[in-house]
Amino acid sequence: MKGTSLQKILFYLGLVLFIPGILAFGSALYNGPSAWSTDARSYWGVPIALFVFWIGLAHAGTLLSAIFLALGIRLDHRTAMLAELSTLCCLAIAGIFPLMHLGVIENFYMVIPFADARGNFANVMSPLVWDFCCIAVYGILSLLFFWTQLKAKVNSSFEKLRKPVAWILFPLVLWVHTVVSLDFASTLVPEWRGAFFPVYFIAGAVYSGLALVNGLLCLEGYRVRLLERLMLAVSWLLLVVWLWNFLLKGDFCTSAFILAGVIPQLLLVESVRDSRAGRGLISLSVLFGLWAERFYMVMPSFGVSQNCSLNYTDLGLIAFSAGTFFLLFLGLRRVLASYVSDAGTFFGEVDGSDIAKNEIALGENVGHDSRDDQNKDSYVAPWSTEEFRLLRMPLLCGILGVVLFSTWSLNQNAFEHVYLTLVNILPVMYPIVALVAIVVLYLRYFWRNNLWKSTSKIERYLVALLLVMGGLFAGAFYAGGPSEPSPYEPTFLKETVSEPSLLWNARCSSCHGTDGNFNQKFVREFYPVPQKLTLDRLDSLGVDSLAHVILNGRGNMNAYLGRLTKTEAKALVEYMRMLARNNEQKNERDAVGEVD
Amino acid sequence: MTTLANALACVFTLGCSAFLWKPASGFYRNALLLSASLLLFCLFAFFGVDDFSSANMNGELYPFRMMALCLCFSTTALPKYRRRYLVLAQILWCWIELFGGITLYYRGVDVAWTRIAAIAGMAVCSTLLSRISKEMEFCLMVFWIAIWIFF
Repeated sequence: MKGTSLQKILFYLGLVLFIPGILAFGSALYNGPSAWSTDARSYWGVPIALFVFWIGLAHAGTLLSAIFLALGIRLDHRTAMLAELSTLCCLAIAGIFPLMHLGVIENFYMVIPFADARGNFANVMSPLVWDFCCIAVYGILSLLFFWTQLKAKVNSSFEKLRKPVAWILFPLVLWVHTVVSLDFASTLVPEWRGAFFPVYFIAGAVYSGLALVNGLLCLEGYRVRLLERLMLAVSWLLLVVWLWNFLLKGDFCTSAFILAGVIPQLLLVESVRDSRAGRGLISLSVLFGLWAERFYMVMPSFGVSQNCSLNYTDLGLIAFSAGTFFLLFLGLRRVLASYVSDAGTFFGEVDGSDIAKNEIALGENVGHDSRDDQNKDSYVAPWSTEEFRLLRMPLLCGILGVVLFSTWSLNQNAFEHVYLTLVNILPVMYPIVALVAIVVLYLRYFWRNNLWKSTSKIERYLVALLLVMGGLFAGAFYAGGPSEPSPYEPTFLKETVSEPSLLWNARCSSCHGTDGNFNQKFVREFYPVPQKLTLDRLDSLGVDSLAHVILNGRGNMNAYLGRLTKTEAKALVEYMRMLARNNEQKNERDAVGEVD
Repeated sequence: MTTLANALACVFTLGCSAFLWKPASGFYRNALLLSASLLLFCLFAFFGVDDFSSANMNGELYPFRMMALCLCFSTTALPKYRRRYLVLAQILWCWIELFGGITLYYRGVDVAWTRIAAIAGMAVCSTLLSRISKEMEFCLMVFWIAIWIFF
């Protein structure tokens, strides 16, 4: 079957999956988390499984294109373009599901860790906040990397930017999936115990990315042997990691083992790997296997507990994600056809054998030798080199940006009430470095080479529009304001007597904890951190002021007016004071015990 | 894990590194050797660590730390791009220690900042090496062993 007819079939398949999928998507947005099945232990469901799966696939493009470029490994232009395009599509799909999982999609901006600007500190202890930073920066930079590749086809001076961007993206790709792994590894769910999760997740993401790209290449009707070899090599490493997971916890996903562990070994058989259908089916098998692995990881009770099963919304969301990918990818592939396949690309088989020859020819310090030969006797100031201007200087600016951000953050009042350490801030540092470095790199390069002229009018308008939107967005969340009272009023508490402990347990304990010492699950996994309710703080604010906060909300604290009377709010304040007093006495007793 | 077993692990990684990246070995052979080494490290850690629960949670990370150390050792024998891959191997080790440490921090274990700082320092200093002589290779290996044993 010709590549184009196969693409058509997949396009229609995408439509078939997308149309019922969009109904499930709408239902999930309208009804919130009650629409899909949720695991009894992890409280997560299909949206998070889909997020982890698609974000893994999103590593394909940047991983292959940027890392290969940075390490000097040749990859044909057409493969690089397809891989990068698939990254952008997967990233767009992956980004939908965590927002859906929030349940209050209109308040999505509250996950932005903008320190205390909204009067309530975003919980930087939570890996979910790190996720937002990393994925947002990764998305922006991947888009920029892809755009640079497109521009380089028209204006060759853009080609110079690709390698420095690749070096900046290289750690970012790995950083993003490491942070995704921490969403799991830093929680209290026993199945997710594992300090090795960062390595495990990266291996899984690389593997799924390679499978996707190999599958897409089959669709295009050609192959890259190097990628097939890499896929097989990563499968061996992942098999060992699965074994380690089994030895540690007894967890084993049979479907993943068979589909993504055993079947790919068929690539060792010449007749299978030489057949396009064989390669395509193996790639598909790996993708199904890794999907199953992530699904069982996110929902460990699935198949064990009777209450945990897939409903129509879950199946619809899976169909929605697959359908959207086919439509988005094949649609964009069609639009960008002239860029993806032109005379300058290598067609057919690229087996990597030319790489070894190139390496030998270029010698050990590729890119430095010629300069060293020319300037053997003359001194070259380090800051005057091309490498310094294009890579090290922007990176230094990025590091400076992080230092400034950290200094500013540490001076926020929120740190007086929230216990934070370097560990909590460190995961957002590299994305900031990368973002600042890329902005400096592009601005400087455009300004020095007067490249503004080569951009089209539409591009300039788009940049201006993005700047205005960015400014408005920053201003909007800086201004903040109390969140709206929830329109969904639960009825079961209408008849509740004004017993403060019952009210507290029903309304407040989910965040503040039953003993006023925070709900640890909330503090670890959600955001923002609620205020610490110490006796000193409660005394300084006064009963009326605190009752006002309870009724009208403040920052991310919901308003309870209409659900609580003023008397009940005051009773809750008194109850809070009692809890704070008890906690203080307990702390004093503990301190005396330690001294003894 | 006992100090002796920890030291043995270091010797073990050194032994495995001798088989990696031989000039005549192909892509599959190298990948297979690396996977086989990781498998051996997993088995070593599984039988070497007494209890993976509360006291030895660092053990979860042990085979991957061994793999990183093995890669560091193996880069000294590379015929080409030695400095680049030497730095990358040390960054991988640092990465494993740092993010493994962050994970364990959430379960009440202190992050091994001294070890992380030592590896990061070594990685940064390695970027300044212009020529890696036999003596320098030996010094690097001694530093890595010192980090493994003492930090």
